[in-house]
Amino acid sequence: MNNTYLPEYSELAKAGRDCDQHGLPSLRVALLSDAATQLLVPVLRELFRRAGFAAEIYEAPFAAIELEVFNPSSDLYAFRPDVVILLHSTQALRAAFFHHGAESDFVTEAGGRIVGIWDAIRSNTSALMIQSTYVRPYESLFGNYDLKHVPSWPNAVVEINGRIVSNARQQNNVLVIDVDGLASWVGRRSWFDERFWDLAKSFCAAEHLPILAKNLTDIVLAAQGRAVKCVVLDLDNTLWGGIVGDDGVDGIQISAHGDGESFHRFQSFVLGLKKRGILLCVCSKNEHAAAVKPFEEHPEMVLHKEDITIFMANWENKAENIKRIRESLEIGYDSILFLDDNPFERNSVRAILPDVIVPELPEDPADYVKALSELNLFETTSVSSEDSSRADLYRAEFGRRSAASAFSNFEEYLQSLNMTIEVARFEPSRLGRIVQLLQRSNQFNLTTHRYNERQCETMMQDSECMPLFGCLRDRFGDHGLISIIVGRLDASASTLEITDWLMSCRVLARGVEEYLMNYVVSQAAQLDLELVTGTYSPTAKNAMVKEFYQRFGFQKVQEKADGTTNWQLRVDGYAYRKTYIQPEIKVQVLVAGVH
Amino acid sequence: MSNDDVMTRLTAIFRSVFGTDKLNLSRATTAKDVEGWDSLMHINLIVAIEREFRVRFTTREINGLENVGALIDVIGRKQNVTS
Repeated sequence: MNNTYLPEYSELAKAGRDCDQHGLPSLRVALLSDAATQLLVPVLRELFRRAGFAAEIYEAPFAAIELEVFNPSSDLYAFRPDVVILLHSTQALRAAFFHHGAESDFVTEAGGRIVGIWDAIRSNTSALMIQSTYVRPYESLFGNYDLKHVPSWPNAVVEINGRIVSNARQQNNVLVIDVDGLASWVGRRSWFDERFWDLAKSFCAAEHLPILAKNLTDIVLAAQGRAVKCVVLDLDNTLWGGIVGDDGVDGIQISAHGDGESFHRFQSFVLGLKKRGILLCVCSKNEHAAAVKPFEEHPEMVLHKEDITIFMANWENKAENIKRIRESLEIGYDSILFLDDNPFERNSVRAILPDVIVPELPEDPADYVKALSELNLFETTSVSSEDSSRADLYRAEFGRRSAASAFSNFEEYLQSLNMTIEVARFEPSRLGRIVQLLQRSNQFNLTTHRYNERQCETMMQDSECMPLFGCLRDRFGDHGLISIIVGRLDASASTLEITDWLMSCRVLARGVEEYLMNYVVSQAAQLDLELVTGTYSPTAKNAMVKEFYQRFGFQKVQEKADGTTNWQLRVDGYAYRKTYIQPEIKVQVLVAGVH
Repeated sequence: MSNDDVMTRLTAIFRSVFGTDKLNLSRATTAKDVEGWDSLMHINLIVAIEREFRVRFTTREINGLENVGALIDVIGRKQNVTS
């Protein structure tokens, strides 16, 4: 469902009375309230249906919360709910407050009663609980002094809400629906409809039941795992004002003051999403070079290049780009939110990728953040410390690929990566990873010897042996140890024999093997050796390196019946390959005792 | 607005709220004459009527309307006041 527009009460109520839930996964929702909820039920059922769930809703008898929860054999528990919604109404509390008087500790009692309800529910069912806050009342006996006056009615509600929230923080299976927040958003003046309270004990004015039901379903769906995981952003007139390709970096509006402030505010909000663990991607019809410029050069941009996991700036259609983003991130379309000021782009994405969430954006960028907040798109049921670093992990992994597609010229792209390689002899601290790579590497592996740690240690101590590893880094992050080459010196034959050459396929096609071959041959030259030799032993998986040595100008000297080939290169005949990789400077002792 | 206009629009609202095209109203129609017109549907009707005619009924009006004729009279009175 990407239709983020919320219909009005009458439409939802009617649709919900006889909606077809056939074939949808079922969800058992119990609704407990000290107000009447009959009007809410069809609205709730319809919104669940639109979200893809057949909600079976159990409506507890009116004002029977305690009776239901404290009785282990109540209908509530017989219903076996997945979710228990607890809606406490200010109007019901009001009666208690004014009878009670402010003398005894009303707040403590009211807060404690709710915790007692949670405890009872928890001991009878593992259902998720959703507890409402109380809507702040409108009755004022002391004017603005109400909040300063501890025993006042408005202050009692404010304090009870504080207790509800702080107690809920202690309990993982209790989530809060901030009904007070909803009411203040739509206006408490219209939220409370005393006519329908008097006549039917209605929880709130009927016109506000949709937003209440929507937030309830949002919470339940978040608990079911629905979440926006990635926001795909347009650039021109979405992230900044103006068109960077026409107006230039200095011509766009993004300043914190004046005509750029809307965009500045929007970017700040989006950055907050990234810090909360939602990935940000760019999808813009632009020249890549122009599109990245503001990120790199404009001093008032809130978002920087490293905040963007995947940067797609090209002239292809946006749905195609979003498909690629989805493939790279391996997430569902329904967890992608696409934000674009252009109705044409929004509609085309909706048409091609109906599961992508594509909200209307208001015409005025000043209202972008308000519109998004109102849609409540970022509901969650927990926050973890990993959330804030998620975007960085993804970016390091996927930024490379997107950059590749953004450069028209592949060499230009390689150059932009600022790759560096550290090459060194095996060292004890690296053995764990070295053995792991030896075990796992199948495709780019010339001889596929599965050395164990002990054998590696032996090689390290062998002065005739040159066991090397390579670690690659680029501007997106650290790839770690990605290649292993083992050479063996045969001074009498003036030969460096490559017994092993393997590499992680993650780093293919960046010139790593070229760099390393240059390196190996130059080492042979330094040792005054005449030949470098190598072997390819075929396996079921390593066909990709069958011609590896041929690529570097080696001559085939032997081919065995099993397909094994032996190769030879004259050191002085080697043509050094051009790469875009710099050495990472380290003190290197390559061949023990020879250096 | 004439009472006929009000009746036409009311009929449309009733049909929409009760989900049937067959429903016909007269001034004498009461809750007993319409299947499903219980207290809950009464609220739905009131909400829809208030929205359509941009009027607001008092609690007593909501509770005390005898029949559709009385409803039309109240709507007419309120619209004359507001327009």
